[in-house]
This record gives sequence, C-alpha cells and structure tokens, in this order.
Amino acid sequence: MFLVKRRRQLAETVHVYISCYIWETEGRMSCNASVTRLHLSSLKRAEKVPVHLMPCEIEHNGLAQVSQYFTATTKEKKKEKTVSFRGRGLKGQEISCPQGYTGLVLKEVDRHGSDQEDRTVKVTSVFDKLTYWNLETPPTSDDTVVMAMDWPELAEAIHGTVED
Amino acid sequence: MAAKKKRTPNTHNDSWVVIAADSAVETQKHDCDPDFVKLRNPSTDEASLYMLSAGDVQLYEVKAFEEDFHSWFVGQTVQRDGKLLFVTRMDPLYLILPYMIKSGQEGKFQPVDQVVKDDEFPASSRLLSCTRSLTSLHHIAEGKEVGSLKFHRYSQERTLNWLQKKVERTIVALKKKHICVGEGVKSTTYVRVKTESDNQEEDYLRYAHGLISEYISEELSKALLKHLGLPELKSAKETEPPSKKRKLSDKPVEAGEDYTKFNSGDFARKPPKKMTAAQKTLAKVDKSGMKPMSSFFSPKTKAEKK
Amino acid sequence: MDLKQFEADNSGSCRLASRIPDVCRTEDCCLGVDEAGRGPVLGPMVYGICFCPVSKKEELKDLKVADSKTLNEAERENLFQKLDEAQSYVGWALQILSPNMISTSMLQRTKYNLNALSHDTAICLIQYALDSGVQLKEVYVDTVGPAEKYEKKLSQLFPGIQVTVRPKADSLFPVVSAASICAKVARDRVVKGWNFAEDLGEIDTDYGSGYPNDPKTKEWLLKYLDPVFGYPQFVRFSWSTAQTLMDSKAAPVHWDDDEEDGEKAAQQQNNRSMLSYFSASAEGDRAQQTHRFFSERRLKSLKSL
Repeated sequence: MFLVKRRRQLAETVHVYISCYIWETEGRMSCNASVTRLHLSSLKRAEKVPVHLMPCEIEHNGLAQVSQYFTATTKEKKKEKTVSFRGRGLKGQEISCPQGYTGLVLKEVDRHGSDQEDRTVKVTSVFDKLTYWNLETPPTSDDTVVMAMDWPELAEAIHGTVED
Repeated sequence: MAAKKKRTPNTHNDSWVVIAADSAVETQKHDCDPDFVKLRNPSTDEASLYMLSAGDVQLYEVKAFEEDFHSWFVGQTVQRDGKLLFVTRMDPLYLILPYMIKSGQEGKFQPVDQVVKDDEFPASSRLLSCTRSLTSLHHIAEGKEVGSLKFHRYSQERTLNWLQKKVERTIVALKKKHICVGEGVKSTTYVRVKTESDNQEEDYLRYAHGLISEYISEELSKALLKHLGLPELKSAKETEPPSKKRKLSDKPVEAGEDYTKFNSGDFARKPPKKMTAAQKTLAKVDKSGMKPMSSFFSPKTKAEKK
Repeated sequence: MDLKQFEADNSGSCRLASRIPDVCRTEDCCLGVDEAGRGPVLGPMVYGICFCPVSKKEELKDLKVADSKTLNEAERENLFQKLDEAQSYVGWALQILSPNMISTSMLQRTKYNLNALSHDTAICLIQYALDSGVQLKEVYVDTVGPAEKYEKKLSQLFPGIQVTVRPKADSLFPVVSAASICAKVARDRVVKGWNFAEDLGEIDTDYGSGYPNDPKTKEWLLKYLDPVFGYPQFVRFSWSTAQTLMDSKAAPVHWDDDEEDGEKAAQQQNNRSMLSYFSASAEGDRAQQTHRFFSERRLKSLKSL
C-alpha cells in the first residue's frame, strides 16, 4: 500500500514536471499554481450583444458583418428561425440563460510579453439569451445545448447546502 | 466542386463564452476579483478548473459544453472556439474531502489548515476561506476543540449520511427537471439483476448516485452505493464496470475495455445526425423519389468511396 | 406580371400565374415547359409553363414567339406583352427558385441535384395547370438531362397526356417558346431589380450576364466577397465559381457532413469524442467514464482556460 502510494506520488511529480516543461516551451505557463484573474470592473462597461451558436467551425477570430449579412436575412415564423450561412440552410431558436445566471464573453488581457505566469481575463460582452442554430434540422428540446441548460439547476442540487 | 480545406488546429484561443452564476460575478460586495484556479479533482485525482469568487467566499465549478464543428457569433465578431462554459456553484466539501480522508488514515485529530495542503495545487488552502467550508466540516469529520484551537478527524459515517442527503436532493431535482434516468442507454453494456418494471425509484437513486460519484473517489462511491442499499451492477463483459480510478487499478492502462465497442453501441442509439455511408448514397441518388431503380446504378451517381 | 410577392421574400420559391382563360377549361389544350437562368451563378432560376387550346396553336404561332435566346431583352418584353394581350386563350404560370433556395437544396445533407430540382419544379407546374382545370392533352418540354428518360417519367406521371420531351423544344414548338419568354422575362426583371436582403448599403448592380465566364460577373464576385459570409443570397453558393473564390479568399468553414472534415474525420472524431466521454484525459491514457448526464449533454470538466 505504501509502495503504491509512493509510486503514485512519484508519477505525479514526473507528470507535473513534464506538463510545466511543455507549457513553458509553448510560451504559456499553465502550471497548477497559475491563476487566471477575472477583472470584474470590466463588467460594467461590457455591452449586451446578440450571440449565435453556429453549427459549423469558422476558421476566423475577429470582426465580421454579422448584423448586415446574418441578422438582416434571418426569418422568423412561430419562434422558429431560419437563415442560411455559406449556402447552407439553418434552423434555430432563441434560449434564455438559466435563472440566476448571466452570459459573459471573456477575453484574455494581453500580457505585453511579461513573464508573469498569472493571466488576466476581462468581460467584453454580456448576454441573457442566445440563439443556437442547427444545420437543417428544426430545433427541439432534445438538442444538446438545450439539454445542457439543465446543468445549473442540477448543480444547485448537488452542491447546495445540506441541512443538519 | 473544389476540394474541402483541411481543418487547421485552433491554437491561440483567447476568448470564451460563459454562462456564470450571478453570485460569481457580483461586483458590489468586494473590491477584489474572482480567480480561475486549478485544484485536484476529487474523482480523477488530476487538475481541473474551478473558480473562487472575490475574497474566496465561494467555490465554483467550470464545465464546458463542447461539440465539434461549432463557432460563435458574438456581436459583430466571430469566435472560432464553440465551447460554452458553465460556471456553477460548487460545494467545497467535495474538494476538501480527499484531504480529510487521506489524513484520516492516521486516525488523529488534526487542524484542517494542515490537512488541506497540496504542493501540487497551492490554491487548495484557499478552499478553507469559503464561507461554507468550516461551517459544514462536521458533515464529513468529527471535531475537537482545545482552547481556541480546532481539530478534525475524518468520519466515514458522517460523510455517507451527508452524501445520502446529497443524493436525495439530487433526486428531487432530477424529478423536477423531468430528466430521463431510465437504464435504456446502458442496457447493452450492463446486465441488470432485477427486471425493468417497478424500478423507477431505483433508477433515480442509481442515477443520482452516479452524479454524486463524479465528485468523490471510487472507493467512497462504492461505499455510498452500499450505504444506499444498492447492489453493484455487473458489466456484461467483465465482472467490474470499466475501472474508473487508477488508484485502484494496478492493471496497465491499456488493458481492460474495448472502447470502440462502447462507441459504436452508444452511437447506434443516438439519433443519427451524421448519416451512414449507405444512407448518404441513397440520399444522393434520388431526392424526388420518382427516378426509376436504374438510376441507382447510373454513372452520374457519385460512388461512395470505400 | 406582378413580382411583389417574390420580392417580399426572395429567399425561397414563389409561384406566379396568369388568370386561367375560360376556354382552357373546356377545350383540349397544349402546354409548353421551359426554364430560364439555369447556368448563371447569380439570381434565380425560373421555370415557366404556357398553355392554350390546341385549336389556337396557329394563332400562337402568328404572335411570332420564337426561342427566347435568339431575342434581345426588348423583344422578349414586347412578346410577353403580346402574350398578355392574348389572355383570352393563353395562360401561363411561373415558379421562381431563388438562388438561396438553389444553394441550400444543392448543398443539403441529402444532396438535391439541379436536375432533380428542375424535374420536380416542371412536374409541379404541370400539376398546377391540371389542378386549375386546364384540359391538358399535349405537353411539350425542353429537356433537362436525357430526353427519352425524362419523357418516359413524365408520361408515367401524367397518363392520358401526350408528352414530348425534346432538346431545343423552344425553337420547335411555339407553346414552349412562349413559356421560355415568360420565364426569361421574369428572370430578367428579378435580376435587374434584385432586392438585397443584406444590409450592405448601395450595391453595384453592374453584374453582367451572371454567367461565370462573363468578366463583369467575375469582377462583381470578387468585389462582393465577404471573408466570413461569402456572398449575399443573390449568389448561388453551390456553383463552383463561387466555391472556388471562397476557398481562396474567405475563411474556411467546416461542417460535420463535409466530405473531408466530416465523413472521414467523423469516424476518428466520433472515436475521439466518444472516448472523451469515457476518459477524462485527452491523452486517453486512463479510462474515466463520465456519467451519462454529462456525456449526453456534451459537458466535461476543463483542465485549463
């Protein structure tokens, strides 16, 4: 038993050493010791924006004419929305953030080449609902993202305080 | 049509879409900020991401909803990474528990701040600052006071009673949310001892036990199963369900289950969003449904590559 | 020809039709089918039918309707005017297939090819005439795909009607020419007055013929290429011209049913993602089964931000 434990500890030490080494060579310190601070002061300045979860991977990060191309061509009939993206038909619906929860978009604050291992993120936008899009299939309550919204309420049950 | 481009890896992601508990991002109360920290996951014994609210008052868990082929439009921008993070309140006792159990093996009463210490995860000691940590320690440990000093010793009995309450609370939430807890999904991999009828309550109990087990070690999960009066399920292929913990397993890691079998089994039950090659061939051939059979063999139909 | 209905929503498919002449409901009729705008990378494809009593065939011929391709725009407009004046015995109907509808159909998961789309549209229009009480006896169709096979298909679908499918039917049968003129006039008008649903401000409408080899069209496609969205819905995304330009100049986009990303990768991907349900570590060096509540919801723990 003792031996097994020792071996495990040894394995962990080696594991940590290797992980740190790899992360460091990538120029990103991600040791278990590092902390990512969330700058809450940015929350007040964050703008409420529309967010869309797209059923495709777009190899791009940055500006796009979302309202001009996407929002402007979106049609809505009885809560079901339709639009097309790159010639493909999408069907979607809007869902709200669970009660007591807020949507945030976080962005890493540039570290200006400092070698500090701790990172900082700020809130760039907020949202209280999102629109998710399926490729061609109509939205239903069985869609995974809709089901994922069950999690916060269940988490409250698993993690809430237990009475004596 | 032009050949599709290969996907390049998304290496430098620097933004995240998050759904967070309001309490995690309250700005009024404190003049300090919340931190994302890495702590030892009590189930896997490895690093997982958590969040401590401003002043380490509360602990939060970070989970990611992630499906392949997704991206975000956020306002007038594209965010390639399609993950959706959930920041939900977490009971710090789950993370304190493994340290208590470890020190409990010595059988002594000890000060918790000496117990909850982890060189590998320095943020662990901050768990004790959470409001709920010290006030709820009695759920998992016996306490002793000597003067102004407090000492604790792990109690499995208390822990199991506490976990049972957790299971009960979880069942209430599962019922309220109408979450499907039937064993259908597992029926091909597990053989049930009892018949399917009148087992609904047991299904809930087992499901909730499974959820709570995500936050405790496998040993404790098994003890809890016994405590709840549930028999262990037998795997159809092996006598044990797929081994969860390396702690218990001295087998080499490659050994054991053939996961490809699991995969195909599980996929067959999911609504097939991705079509099989055969379906696709059929679909390509004739949309109108009015073509003669011969068109199935016409040269225009692109043959499915083998 | 009132295009308002289509212009109000030019993202789908829309039918326009003349009044049905009374005589068409009582006398044996012939009907011609033709299309306009099959080749262009821009704008809609329009299917047209035109019909009149068999006894009025000669009168239709006297209107001097000829193959619309040999006429210029003004001549076509003029002939359409004449057909309109003959509304006591000539009727027509059109189906406008928007470029967006063409794109999304052809690029569907279950691919819907242009021939199938054309056939189905033609069939719908013939059925429309029948449903409206037109006493159809003869149908003439300009072919899409092999004429013989198409003719057999239509004959089977419409028993009791003499179906003739021919290449260049529009130059052989005046009633097909008339259908061709209706379709072409509608396509020209729609393209000319295209109502861009996108919010792109003033748009240069000098897009040439819309055929991929027209330099003006090419220039326009280069000018209006958006790195994320590709093109306005005016463009047929399923055309290789558009695809090639997007492949070279726009951000790559990957779908789960892409031939390369999806199908082949899907299996690996499935294996990987399914494995990840069972193993907490991406390296897969350890088997960790996540509770199905999480795996069914694609939820997992993170190791780092």
